Amino acid sequence: MAYSDKVVDHYNNPRNVGSFGKDTPGVGTGLVGAPECGDVMKLQIKVNLETGVIEDAKFKTFGCGSAIASSSLATEWLKGRTVDEAAVIKNTDIVTELKLPPVKIHCSVLAEDAIKAALADYKTKWGTQAPAEAAASASS
Amino acid sequence: MRRMNYFEVFCLDRKLGIDAQALQSRFYELSRRWHPDFQQGRTPEAQAEALERSALVNAAYRALRDPIARVEYLVRLAEGRDTKGGAVVKPKAPPELLEEIFELLETLAEARAGGLDDDRRAELAVERDRLVKRLAAEEDRLKGSLATAWDSATPADRPRVLAALKDALAVRAYLRTVIDDLTNALEGQESDAAHHRH
Repeated sequence: MAYSDKVVDHYNNPRNVGSFGKDTPGVGTGLVGAPECGDVMKLQIKVNLETGVIEDAKFKTFGCGSAIASSSLATEWLKGRTVDEAAVIKNTDIVTELKLPPVKIHCSVLAEDAIKAALADYKTKWGTQAPAEAAASASS
Repeated sequence: MRRMNYFEVFCLDRKLGIDAQALQSRFYELSRRWHPDFQQGRTPEAQAEALERSALVNAAYRALRDPIARVEYLVRLAEGRDTKGGAVVKPKAPPELLEEIFELLETLAEARAGGLDDDRRAELAVERDRLVKRLAAEEDRLKGSLATAWDSATPADRPRVLAALKDALAVRAYLRTVIDDLTNALEGQESDAAHHRH
């Protein structure tokens, strides 16, 4: 299978590989998988609790080149967005950017699922409090 | 004519408990009936139909003779799809399993990067044996208690049992992949996970 240049680039030089502590203030973690191909993807966001802006994002993916590229791209796109802005990222945006062929679309779906899961986890852990309160309770 | 589903090919209810011996006999009988060799002298239309039937019988037998393949087929059928792609509702493996597998893959990646010494090999072999046992247990559950649950479920209960079957298939798929990864690593085949999966 011929990968697009962008996929190869993300695969060879993945951006933002790594992880944050799960319970670090402002961190939301999404762990998703695709049973049919065995891919497992972890994507984390670190939100500034005062501004609601995603300051950093990290991922670690065990899977094919397209899955790695999709999650790598997702972390790049997440940084600098607010939580609400992050929620509008669609798998089709990833497909277009990486020129994924039809058989690899499920990799982009997995990345979108990971973003949603990370945002949901963030909201569960930190989103119920007003940003300033969350910061105060995190530092106390 | 609506294409028969594989259960209908063998005049079976849509159930998972199938007598393997009876299925085989029926398969032989139908194979003979539609075999191209026995269609000599018939009209081209009849021969073409026989060929189609013969292919259907073969496909049906392949899908139903193995109890796990049978569950996979039942799920596809219930969702009205013929291929593996495009699942209507995504199966969910338990989050703990996903976490466990993620950690295991991380350990494996580190072990690969740092070289597999004997201690690490032994550790990974223990993990693999544990997962192989768990896979066997999951398959027993699919063939046993879950299959029985499906067969005795009321129509109202079926969606719930179907979801359980799908989740169990997902668990099995994850376990098989990670067992393969461990086996490849332990047997020293340099198999980058990125490449052997697709």
